[in-house]
Amino acid sequence: MNWRTTPTREFDFLLLASALALTAYGALLIYSGSLTTYGSPGQALSHPVSRQLAFAAIGLACMVAISRVDYRLLGPLSLTLYVVSIAALVFVFAVGASAYGSRRWILVAGTQVQPSEVAKIATVIMLAKFFADNEQRMRSLRVFVTSLAIAGLPALLVLIEPDLGSALVFGVIWLAMAVIAGVRPLHFAALMTLALALAPGALYAIAHDYQKERIDVWLDPNKDPLGTGFNILQAEISIGSGGLLGKGFTHGTQTQLDYLRTQTTDYIFSVGAEELGFVGAMVLFGLFILLLFRCLRVANLADDAFGRLMATGVVAFILFQVFVNIGVNIRLVPVTGVPLPLVSQGGSSLITVLLSLGIVQSVLGHRRRRGPHRI
Amino acid sequence: MGLLTQPRRRWRSEPAEKEPDERQVIATRIWVLRGVILLVFIALAAQLANLQLVRGHSYEQRAQLNQLRIEPVIPSRGLIYDRNGVPLVENVPSFAAAVVAADVPKDRELEIAAGVERLLGIPPLETVLRLEEARSSKDPFAPIVLKEGLDQADAFHLREQLAALPGVQILVESVRRYPQGAAVADVVGYMGRVDEEDYAALKDKGYIASDRIGKAGVEAAYENYLRGVPGRKEIEKDASGREIRTLAEDAPKPGNDLVLSLDLDLQKKAQEFVTQAARGGQGAAVVMDVHTGEVLALVSLPTYDNNIFSGKIDEARLQQYLDDPKKPLVNHALSEQYAPGSIFKQITGAAALQEGVASPSTTITSTGAIQVPNEYDPSVVYTFKDWRALGTLNFYGGVAMSSDVYFYYLAGGYHAYGNNFNGLGIERLARYARQFGLGRPTGIDIAGEADGIVPDPDWKKRTFGDDWFLGDTYNMGIGQGFLAVTPVQMVRVTAAVANGGTLLRPHVLREVRDAKGNVVVPPGPRVEGNVGVSDENLAIMREAMRQAVSWGSASQGAVRDVSVAGKTGTAEFGPRFADGSYETHAWFSGFAPADDPQIAITVFLERGVGAIDAAPLAARILDYYFHRPQQRAQSDAAAPTGVMP
Repeated sequence: MNWRTTPTREFDFLLLASALALTAYGALLIYSGSLTTYGSPGQALSHPVSRQLAFAAIGLACMVAISRVDYRLLGPLSLTLYVVSIAALVFVFAVGASAYGSRRWILVAGTQVQPSEVAKIATVIMLAKFFADNEQRMRSLRVFVTSLAIAGLPALLVLIEPDLGSALVFGVIWLAMAVIAGVRPLHFAALMTLALALAPGALYAIAHDYQKERIDVWLDPNKDPLGTGFNILQAEISIGSGGLLGKGFTHGTQTQLDYLRTQTTDYIFSVGAEELGFVGAMVLFGLFILLLFRCLRVANLADDAFGRLMATGVVAFILFQVFVNIGVNIRLVPVTGVPLPLVSQGGSSLITVLLSLGIVQSVLGHRRRRGPHRI
Repeated sequence: MGLLTQPRRRWRSEPAEKEPDERQVIATRIWVLRGVILLVFIALAAQLANLQLVRGHSYEQRAQLNQLRIEPVIPSRGLIYDRNGVPLVENVPSFAAAVVAADVPKDRELEIAAGVERLLGIPPLETVLRLEEARSSKDPFAPIVLKEGLDQADAFHLREQLAALPGVQILVESVRRYPQGAAVADVVGYMGRVDEEDYAALKDKGYIASDRIGKAGVEAAYENYLRGVPGRKEIEKDASGREIRTLAEDAPKPGNDLVLSLDLDLQKKAQEFVTQAARGGQGAAVVMDVHTGEVLALVSLPTYDNNIFSGKIDEARLQQYLDDPKKPLVNHALSEQYAPGSIFKQITGAAALQEGVASPSTTITSTGAIQVPNEYDPSVVYTFKDWRALGTLNFYGGVAMSSDVYFYYLAGGYHAYGNNFNGLGIERLARYARQFGLGRPTGIDIAGEADGIVPDPDWKKRTFGDDWFLGDTYNMGIGQGFLAVTPVQMVRVTAAVANGGTLLRPHVLREVRDAKGNVVVPPGPRVEGNVGVSDENLAIMREAMRQAVSWGSASQGAVRDVSVAGKTGTAEFGPRFADGSYETHAWFSGFAPADDPQIAITVFLERGVGAIDAAPLAARILDYYFHRPQQRAQSDAAAPTGVMP
């Protein structure tokens, strides 16, 4: 059975290229967005661009390394990874550092690590493993509920940090993977009915005051144009004033005069839209679509449910974060702090995404060659 | 092996197997995911296109507004000099601490309020409240003044400290200091902060919210000359309001200087003399050039120190002024109106001559009063008194002795008890009063002028719903009854008599000079019209007034070596006392020299008698005007030549 044990060793260079292009795009925007603080790129090592590129290098190394390892090895490790990441989430809630009123990261070797980023990928693996193991029992309610619980636990922990945006990411990961795994439509319908009945009121009830305020201000930023509404309005002005072609790289007045806040993280898209315009944003969209389609191609080609589901989960969380982040920037979605994958400044998110793409590459590269009748 | 790298061929060649069926299902689900991805990006792109392409232009403008601020550069205000070049005002810097609400980050508001307390001693609550108020106002970029009148050393010290407090700034303002203070306050006026209503209208003219504007006197009347043309500075600011750079500057054009016709020496002396004569009451004096209408002195008592309005308003003293029943902030020379009494006889007399009602030889006998029977019931008889039984008088005597009976005849005629003297009648009398400029503002260039009242049957009907009687005409003929005038109105009546009938527009502005000393608006007489009385008739009036001073009721108005012509007035006002008398205002209105008139003077005292109180006061002022050779020589030497000091 030689043909069953030889991996294809295929590596998707288009997928790699789109990821690198997005990372480079992000680095340029981080450079532009930090000009007011750092002036010139002179302060080499401490400069956010250098740091981002260093993280990119680490992420890239992880990606290549993971792509060489058979993704099937992740199966037995999935439970351990999942439990460790859940523990990290509990830990961050207990002792984590606080920013803007919520505790989201812990320090590991002097670097801020966001356990929620790690938990996303651990949950993807865990869910993929669980669905793959129960491939023959997808119609069972028990499987449905258990899969929901696997995604729900980290979501709940992230929600109480509180970080509503990341909590929703887990929901979307589960949704996409459950669809591909083929859960029973009846179960879905029941869940949706339940969620629609309870969600709005419940969400508003458990939401923290700052989250409620965010939603109120999102609906009408002019309520408080110099306070909470400031970022929303200024992002909107930045983007709108970019027009078709933008004001030119590093020439965005909103960005360079500090009207835009958190312009290298949550609002990095606004920097691009202001300086590179609609055209620049379409290039970004094109790169994301290419990246996501290449991942879906892998899902389509995957040998088994485990690989297919992991690729799907990666697509789901990247897509959702892109949607929420850009949606916040263009005022389609209430303010939630979700990074723009590969583009926003921040090591945890960058490395996690590159690492996930490594898993996708592994799924592609470790397919067994088939078609014995041809041999 | 080469063929095996093309995996798709495999299931195309085995359509019957179960596995491809399952693959097909999965492929469909993945197509659904592809659709979701495309939908997500289409939704994002649609909203993005809406922001950037459809509404891009308006956001572009908002981004510009964000970053660029066009700030007016306030020009230096013009100065004001008296006719001899003595400065009546100077510009001095004043430092104020202010805060721009839009530049204060909301989350640092408390920290900044605490800093403000530490540096300026303002309670943090007050700062926070004012910030909140400004935030919700239409213009959160307008600086709110926190503390005015900082001294220079404190201001510089503060400026260093304020770097840590975004939004807080030190404003350097130019404020007015009036070295002459109360001596010229009623003419020069004062400035005050632009209030919110004014600001709405002034914003487009380059005024800023914390700006000052002339509020009274010449400061208000000639705001346009004094203000100059504001410049504009286009500056780039970052989100915390720090000025990054000036992109363009359009330099302001400094205000023009005003040279007033006011003679500061005379003004001060006149004020001193009126103060002595008024004995704490209200008083006024106006000295005017009879040919040009230039006002040489304008006194209103009690007066006030206009410096209290400069910089930080001295609230305690302002309140004191506002509470004073004598109304020091009101200009008694032009904002208050009184009955003129006998000085009105100038008009009655001139009108009677012009209309042929009287001639210099018209003789009338005053037995101390005339009786007029009621038109419908002759058994009711009204008595109109003279101030004394003056006997038989011709026109000169009638004026000189200020005979009321004489002027009853001229004004209303006398037909009772066999007499048959035709007077002017109310219509003609009122017409001449208006021709002499009464009943309307003179147009003097000091704000707040009163209209005065020239009554007639129409007016009486409108105002009281009552008919006009002969007695009303009699009263008006001697300047009593409903007639009301201001001292400035009367000085131009006298000037018109003196100059041959030209009705002038009194003014305190002599000329306007630009910052380089060039005359922009030259001096010159300002003529409103003619009073409609011939010079021959006015000459008779002038002679009569000269006689009033030389031997008549105004003899206290005489000045050594100068022939003065004038008329006194004692106007009754207020409630009647038990003995039938009233409180009286004292007036004198005259000109000098009688044969070659140069100046006209009108003085008014709230309480007194014209012949006893007003005439000597006028004489003292005239005496000072004509007999001060050494001062005049001095001030002539100091006269401005081209460039102002």
